[in-house]
Amino acid sequence: MTWYLVRRLNLFIATSCVMLMVLFYVTHLFPVSPAVALSGIADPSPSQQQVITQAYSLNSNIISQFIAYVQNRLSGDFGVSLTSHHPISQELFVVLPASFELAVIAGLIALVVGIPIGVLASFNHHKMTQNVIVATTLTGYSLPVFWIGLMLAHWFGIQQDWLPVSGQINLLYEIKPVTGFLVIDSLLASKQYGMSAFYDALQHIILPAVTLSILPLTVVIRITRSAMQNVMSQTYIRAAEARGLHTGQIIIKHALPNALIPVFKQLGVMLGPFASYAILVEVSFAWPGVGYWLVSGIYQRDYTVIQGGVFVVALLIIFLNILIDVIHSLVNPITKKELYGQN
Amino acid sequence: MMKLARNRFILVLAVCLSLITLSGCQPQNVPIGLVYCSEGNPESFNPQIVTLGTTIDASSHQIYNHLIEYDVTTGKVSPSLATSWQVSKDGKVYTFKLRKGVKFHRAQWFTPSRNFNALDVLFSFNRIIRADNPYHDVSATGYPFFQSIGFQSLVKDISAPDLYTVTFTLNRPDASFLANLASDFAVVLSQEYADFLLKAGTPQRIDQFAIGTGPFVLKQYVKNEYIRYQRNNDYWGKRTVIEHLVFDITRKNSQRLAKLLTDDCGVSALPKPLELKVANQYPHVQIQQQRGMNVAFWAFNTLKPPFDDPEVRQALAMAINKSDILSVVYRQTAVEADSILPPASWAHSINPTHQGYNPVKAKQILQKKGLTNLRMNILTMPTARTYNPNPVKTAQLIQADLAKVGIKAHIHSNDWRVLSKKLNRSQYDSVLLGWNADNSDPDNFFSPFLSCAALKSNNNRSQWCDTKFDSILEQAKTVTDQADRKKLYQKAEMLLSEQMPLVPLAHSNRIILKRTDIKGVKLASYGGISFAKAYHNKEQND
Repeated sequence: MTWYLVRRLNLFIATSCVMLMVLFYVTHLFPVSPAVALSGIADPSPSQQQVITQAYSLNSNIISQFIAYVQNRLSGDFGVSLTSHHPISQELFVVLPASFELAVIAGLIALVVGIPIGVLASFNHHKMTQNVIVATTLTGYSLPVFWIGLMLAHWFGIQQDWLPVSGQINLLYEIKPVTGFLVIDSLLASKQYGMSAFYDALQHIILPAVTLSILPLTVVIRITRSAMQNVMSQTYIRAAEARGLHTGQIIIKHALPNALIPVFKQLGVMLGPFASYAILVEVSFAWPGVGYWLVSGIYQRDYTVIQGGVFVVALLIIFLNILIDVIHSLVNPITKKELYGQN
Repeated sequence: MMKLARNRFILVLAVCLSLITLSGCQPQNVPIGLVYCSEGNPESFNPQIVTLGTTIDASSHQIYNHLIEYDVTTGKVSPSLATSWQVSKDGKVYTFKLRKGVKFHRAQWFTPSRNFNALDVLFSFNRIIRADNPYHDVSATGYPFFQSIGFQSLVKDISAPDLYTVTFTLNRPDASFLANLASDFAVVLSQEYADFLLKAGTPQRIDQFAIGTGPFVLKQYVKNEYIRYQRNNDYWGKRTVIEHLVFDITRKNSQRLAKLLTDDCGVSALPKPLELKVANQYPHVQIQQQRGMNVAFWAFNTLKPPFDDPEVRQALAMAINKSDILSVVYRQTAVEADSILPPASWAHSINPTHQGYNPVKAKQILQKKGLTNLRMNILTMPTARTYNPNPVKTAQLIQADLAKVGIKAHIHSNDWRVLSKKLNRSQYDSVLLGWNADNSDPDNFFSPFLSCAALKSNNNRSQWCDTKFDSILEQAKTVTDQADRKKLYQKAEMLLSEQMPLVPLAHSNRIILKRTDIKGVKLASYGGISFAKAYHNKEQND
C-alpha cells in the first residue's frame, strides 16, 4: 500500500513538473518582456526591475530561471495583477471559494438526484420509465451547457421572475468572508440581516448549480444504471433474494455500495470537462469564481492573472484526479487485492 | 420496490421545493441601498488623473466635491465647497470663499483630524500644476484633462490669504476657467491624507484608497465584481437617503439588463438601443433619456501617410454613410453629427462646409491620389460607451462602406488598457473614439482632444496640431461675449471640416435603465452620474 501511495505521489509530482515547464515556456511567449509577464508590474522602476531580475534570475541561464520560477510559484508568489495591482494570491483567495461552493453544490445535486434515478432506471419492470430516463439523460448530456444556462436563466429568471440569474448574492448584503463559502457566511451573518441574506444567497446559487450539475448528473445516472444492472445480475443478489430479504434492503445494503464504485471512478475522469463546464457556467451567470476571473483576465490581457488561474486550475485537477484514484483504490476491494498481490 | 424508490424521490423533491418556496416567502430584510450595474472597472478613484467615463462615474460625484458645481437645470455655476467667488475686472484673479465645517471621510484607512480648508484646495491644484509637488509624479498617467486645456500654463499662482479664502491668479483671462473648475475632474483631495501617506511611504494609495468630502465614502473595491460605498453621515450638504451604494461591475450589456429585470440592480448603465425595446415591455423598468453633450468620432492618425493628406481624409469622410450607422447602431437614440459641437450646446451652428455621403466623389479623389489598393486598420473598443453603444458594429459598418470605395479595412477591437497602449505608441491608422463633455463650455469640445497641448498629453488621437486652429481656440477663450465666441467656434468647425483630422459621427443621447420605484438619479447631458439624491419611492412613503 505504501508503495502504491509513493507511486501516486510521484505521478503527482511528475505531472505538476511538466505543467510548470509548459507554463514557464508560455511566459516567454507573451508579447511583453518576461519581467512584466512574471511580476505583473507594468512599468517597473529601475529598482523594481532589479528586484524582479534577481527574484527570477533573469540574467542567468534558462535552467536557473526555471528553478527560480518554480520557487516563486510554489511559495505562493504569483506576482501582482496587471490591472488591479493586487497580489494574485490574494485574488485567488477570494475567487477560489466561490468556485468550490458552486462545484460542491452542483456535485451534491448530481449525486443526490442522480443515484436514485440511476437505480430507478436500472429495473426492467417499466420499459417506459426506463426509456424516458435514458432519452432525457442522453439529451441532457448532448446539450451545450451555455445553452442550457441561457434557457434556464431566460425562463426562470426573466420570464417568470422566480430566481436571480447572475451574481452570488444581492450586493446590498455585505457578508464578511469567514469560511469563504457565501451560503455558509450569509447564514453566519444572520445577526445582521436575519435569514434573508441566506435565502438570497440560496436563490442565487440555484440556477448556476443546476446548470453545472446537468453534465455530472447525466453521467452519474448512466453509470449507476449500468453498474446496478451489472450488480443485480450477480449471484449474491440472487442469494439475498432467496433468503427473503426486502428489495429495498438488497439495493441499499448489498447492491448499491458495489455499484457506486465505478460511479466514483467516473467522477475523477469527469473532473477535466467539469472544470471547463464550470468556467462556462461562471461566465454565463457572472458567478465570481476562478473561471469568471480567468476569462476577464484574458479579455484584459492580464498575463499574471492568466498564469495564476491556469496554474491553480491545472494543479487542482491533477491533485483531485490522483486523490480520487487513491480513494477509489482504498474503497475498492478488488484493487486492494491486487495491491496486496503486488507487495 | 419501484414504489419505494419513487416515493423517496418524491419526498426529496418535495423537501427541496418547499425550501425554495419558503425562501421566496420570507420577509425581505434587504439593507436600504442602491445597486448600480456599471459597465467596467475604474482605473483609479481620482478623476484628476483620468478621462475614462467609467472612472468619473465611480468617483467624481460620489466620493468628491468640487469647488463649484454646475446646476444642470439652469446650466449655470453654483456654489459647492466654495460658497461665493469674485472675478477681478481684468478677468485674471479669481477669489473663492470656502465653506466652513466640511468634514473629510472617515474610512478604514484614514481618520481625518481637521476639517476642510484652503490647504486642501492648494494641495489638490498644486499637485496638478507644480512639478515640485511631491504628488505631481505619483500619477503615472499625468493629468490628461488639465494638460489638454493648458491648465498649467494658464494658472500663474494659487494662494490662500487665510484658511477659508483661495485666490487663483491667471496668466491671461480665460472664459472657460470657471467651467473647467466645475468639471468632473477638478475634485478636492485632502492634504492631511496626502501628508499621512507620504509619511507612510505609500503615496500612490491616494488615488486608489480615496478620501474626499462627497456624499458617499468609498468602502471596498473588488476588481471585476463590485465597488462598495457607504453614506457619508457627516456630509455637509443634504444627507443621502440611501445608506449603501454598490456598483455592480457587469461588463456584458445583456447581463446588465437581466440583473435589472431580476431586481439585482436598481439602475443599469449604457443599454444597447436594441434593448430599449425589451425594457419597454416591463412596467417596472423605466428608460431615462437625456440629450447628450457628446460626440462619437472616427479619428485618423494624421502623422501616418497617406492619412497626412487632408484630401484623403476628406475622401474617407465622404465614403462613410452616417445615416446607416445611426439607424443600425444608435436606432434613432442619437442625431447625426456634421460638426464636433452637439446641437445641445449653445455654440452649435449649422456647418455650411459639411460634405455629405458621396462615395463616387470619394472614389474619384482616391483614384486621383493613386490610392486604389489602400489597406488600413480601425481600432476600437468592445465595450459600450456613452457616445457609442456598440463601437464594434460601427467599425464593421465603416469597414463595409470603405470596401465600396476599394479600401480594405481591418478591425482591431481591444480592451481599454490594450487600446490606450496602442494609441500611445501611435500604432494605428484610425481609431473609433468619442468625447463626453465635462461641462457646458464649448471649449471642452476642442481643447481636450484637438489642441497641440492635447497632443502632448496623449489625448489628441488624430495626432493633429494646427497653430491656426489653436489660435482660434485661444481667442475664443479670451473673449467673453457669447455671440462673438459662437462665431469663433464656427470658424474652428469650418477649419476642422476642411482639415478633417477626424470624422464626427453622431451625438448620442445619454440613457440609463432603472427600476420605476427609484427616483432622483441625476443624469446630466454631460459629466458623470450622481446618486446623491437617489431614493426608493417606497422609503419616501414610509
